[in-house]
Amino acid sequence: MSFLEVKNLKVHFPITGGLLGRTIDHVKAVDGVSFSIEKGKTYGLVGESGSGKTTTGRAIIGLNKITSGNVLFDGQDITNLRRSKMSARRDIQMIFQDPYSTLNPKKRVFDIVAEPLRNYENLSKREEKKRVQELLELVGLSPESIHKYPHEFSGGQRQRIGIARAIALKPKLIIADEPVSALDVSVQAQVLNFMQKIQKELGLTYLFISHDLGIIKHMCDRIGIMYKGRYVEEGTPEDIFTNPQHIYSRRLVAAIPDIDPRKREQQLQFRRTVKEEYEQSYNDYFDDKGLAYQLQPVSDTHLVALPGRG
Amino acid sequence: MWKFTVRRIGIMIPQIALLSILIFIMAKMMPGDALSGLIDPSIDPATIEAMRDRLGLNNPWHIQYVDWIKGVIQGDFGQSFRFKMPVTELISQRLINTFWLSLATLILTYLIAIPLGITSGRYNDTWADRLITGYTYVGFAAPLFIFALIMVWIFGFHFGWFPTSGSVKPGLSPGTFEYVLSKINHLMLPALSMALIATVTTVQYLRSEIIDTKQKDFVVTARAKGASESRVYNRHILRNSLLPIAAFFGYEITGLIGGTIFIENIFGYPGMGQLFLESITLRDFSVVTTVVLIFGIASILGALISDIILSLVDPRIRIK
Amino acid sequence: MEAKKIHLPDNTKDTDRSPSGWLIIWREIVRDKLAYASLVFLTLIILFVYGVSLFLDQKEIVTVDLFSIHQPPSKEFWLGTDYGGRDVFGQLIIGTRNSLSIGILVTLMTGIIGITVGLVSGYYGGKIDNIVMRIVDFFMILPFLMIVIVFVSVSPKYTILSFSLIMTAFLWMGKARLIRSKALQETELDYVQASKTLGSSNLKIMLTQVLPNLSSIIIVSMTLNLAANIGLESGLSFLGFGFPESTPSLGTLVSYARNPQTLEFRWWIWLPASLLILVLMLSINNVGQALKRATDARQRRG
Repeated sequence: MSFLEVKNLKVHFPITGGLLGRTIDHVKAVDGVSFSIEKGKTYGLVGESGSGKTTTGRAIIGLNKITSGNVLFDGQDITNLRRSKMSARRDIQMIFQDPYSTLNPKKRVFDIVAEPLRNYENLSKREEKKRVQELLELVGLSPESIHKYPHEFSGGQRQRIGIARAIALKPKLIIADEPVSALDVSVQAQVLNFMQKIQKELGLTYLFISHDLGIIKHMCDRIGIMYKGRYVEEGTPEDIFTNPQHIYSRRLVAAIPDIDPRKREQQLQFRRTVKEEYEQSYNDYFDDKGLAYQLQPVSDTHLVALPGRG
Repeated sequence: MWKFTVRRIGIMIPQIALLSILIFIMAKMMPGDALSGLIDPSIDPATIEAMRDRLGLNNPWHIQYVDWIKGVIQGDFGQSFRFKMPVTELISQRLINTFWLSLATLILTYLIAIPLGITSGRYNDTWADRLITGYTYVGFAAPLFIFALIMVWIFGFHFGWFPTSGSVKPGLSPGTFEYVLSKINHLMLPALSMALIATVTTVQYLRSEIIDTKQKDFVVTARAKGASESRVYNRHILRNSLLPIAAFFGYEITGLIGGTIFIENIFGYPGMGQLFLESITLRDFSVVTTVVLIFGIASILGALISDIILSLVDPRIRIK
Repeated sequence: MEAKKIHLPDNTKDTDRSPSGWLIIWREIVRDKLAYASLVFLTLIILFVYGVSLFLDQKEIVTVDLFSIHQPPSKEFWLGTDYGGRDVFGQLIIGTRNSLSIGILVTLMTGIIGITVGLVSGYYGGKIDNIVMRIVDFFMILPFLMIVIVFVSVSPKYTILSFSLIMTAFLWMGKARLIRSKALQETELDYVQASKTLGSSNLKIMLTQVLPNLSSIIIVSMTLNLAANIGLESGLSFLGFGFPESTPSLGTLVSYARNPQTLEFRWWIWLPASLLILVLMLSINNVGQALKRATDARQRRG
């Protein structure tokens, strides 16, 4: 049994309009997404902005209301459960994209990191302080910084504070929504390596959301590619990077920059070919609304949205 | 544009309905009713009771409300208990006086605000700007009634430049040149007092708007292309900053109404504000109700007009 | 050996603390000379007025004394007497105290209602927000002054409390609208979403996460409201719909100027109170504007 299982997840937002402000249509941010994650593994969700990857993550943790479908966590159905009523919620935590808005500017680091502890654990002031200092040390920040404000830290340090807060309750699953996109490239690797380190130490499972295929390749054990709220392809990194089947995935993979300057001309040529192919065969891979078809297995691990049954 | 206007009017209708209910409740809280104004004290109470029944004053409140609304729509606001005449007649002359006062105030407000705002914004951080900013600072803090009192004390009583009460010199016949002159003379000081205070927010708005626009890319581009400074201001900056100000006049109406109550009282100007205060003190409640209703509707219409003009000026509002 | 420091974690508590937002705002105000002078002036006025009024007998001051009507300023009556022979200076002190007290009371009451409504409306958004904001819009268009005057004149058993309740009933909307728009902006930020995932209840998020971020705007707007409310109260008292004559306010003293004789010839009755209102409102506004600048600068540095 998988650790986290998402079945046919749909998240639709109403569009209101007209004279009376009635609902006239829906934005189908997530439109029938299914996947599962094994314990201790990292699952990568890739797609361009607006593809619904972030909404998927937020729906799993309960920040967006699920229109239909199910989310099973450790065998328990947690679809649209009220936050307060669920003990499973403390086992799922989230790391947010923007290290600047994710920490309350009016709170000291101590209060920020202690927030989940205060909600779930009854600690004395002394124990609480000790725990917060331990957590800060774990993410590589000096324990003396607990009385500082977020604006006194750099982006990378803030993201570490966010991580310290997310792991305070010793969660089992962490949803990381573009955790390094807002950071300098030099800091990105630092934070990513650190995330892998604590994954091993704490036995964490990650749902890693990103638009950056390079990072996904580096981090993930399994990858899903989303486009306009649907999956276009799912598989192991090997499946996706060496044998992309869907034209959209192929174009994404072709867009990964190559550091070898001698291959630049070759790479450019390759991209141009893929682009032409993409434009020519667009109608074969997407339905008349420009949406992806249902996933079909092409191997044991590899699923692709190809036209077929429906 | 039309969609926005229709939707905006759709919001206005319940507003007017709510206003009428609020005023009806106020009227019911006031002692006395339409009969108190009509009846001779020597008439026997039983007859009064019978008349009450006949006039529907003993009906349940919602029927009375509907009757009242029917009357209001036909222009029947009842009888003034004090002046023994229909409220409509009593109000008409006052309404015209207040209209002129408000109009003069609005014109003066813009006449003062636009040059001051432009000077202050264009030459910001010069002595002229500091002077104007200082004036807006004081004007923002100063309550209208105190400012008006000091104005009338200095210019009305001390220097005697302006009349200190009334709307026209008695004895002049309407239509003559002297009559019009006297009217304007009576209007000047009250309108100026109100305008000098009301203009402050507009000056501040215009100043900050111009300073903001000055640094916008399109203005910088215009300058870089070699447009002359006056052209930059006339074609690019003012066009963007003045339109919203023109639209604000509708919102000013609510403020003007509060202002006229003080101003007409201080300057002894026979308008709606003064009538309102007199009627309240004399407990002439059918007049009070009517004045509040008229001013309430005027405010709602003012906001409607401003919203529609603003939506023309700024398309972002329409999307909401 | 003595140079070696032993690091005790508990000692870091105060030395390593970064200055809080309030301290920064305080520094800004002290740096702004006009605002600082205004603040000092306000503090002195408040101390003086509340201090002296402890020794003054309000009843005695408002008792009519027919032998000393309309006296110009003298040694006995520093600012002369009014038409009832009452000491204007004494009334000025008591009036300032009463005006300040009701200004503060109304500001606090409107603040509490406005913050609560605005916070709930902005935090939850959606339908609740829509309905609340429609109602607020409606009340904000109404000719406020007239409606307050009507309610004051028809309210049975009219007291200072009912006066401040009537003012509050029609004044909280502006604050609610302001707080709502700020709360709406804050709620969209990730730290609120983060708090939700960390298991904090909505009430807790509103009070401990969103509210502290609104504190500077609340302080600024409450300060400016205080000035406006003092002006409003004295305006209503001036028209005769504020405090009863037995509890003088600054507006009551100014209202004697509605008699043209008093206005023209007896400046000592109404002018000091007028100027005092003006100076009070200017000072409070100065402090408010300085607070506004201070908090803005903080946001820019963010």
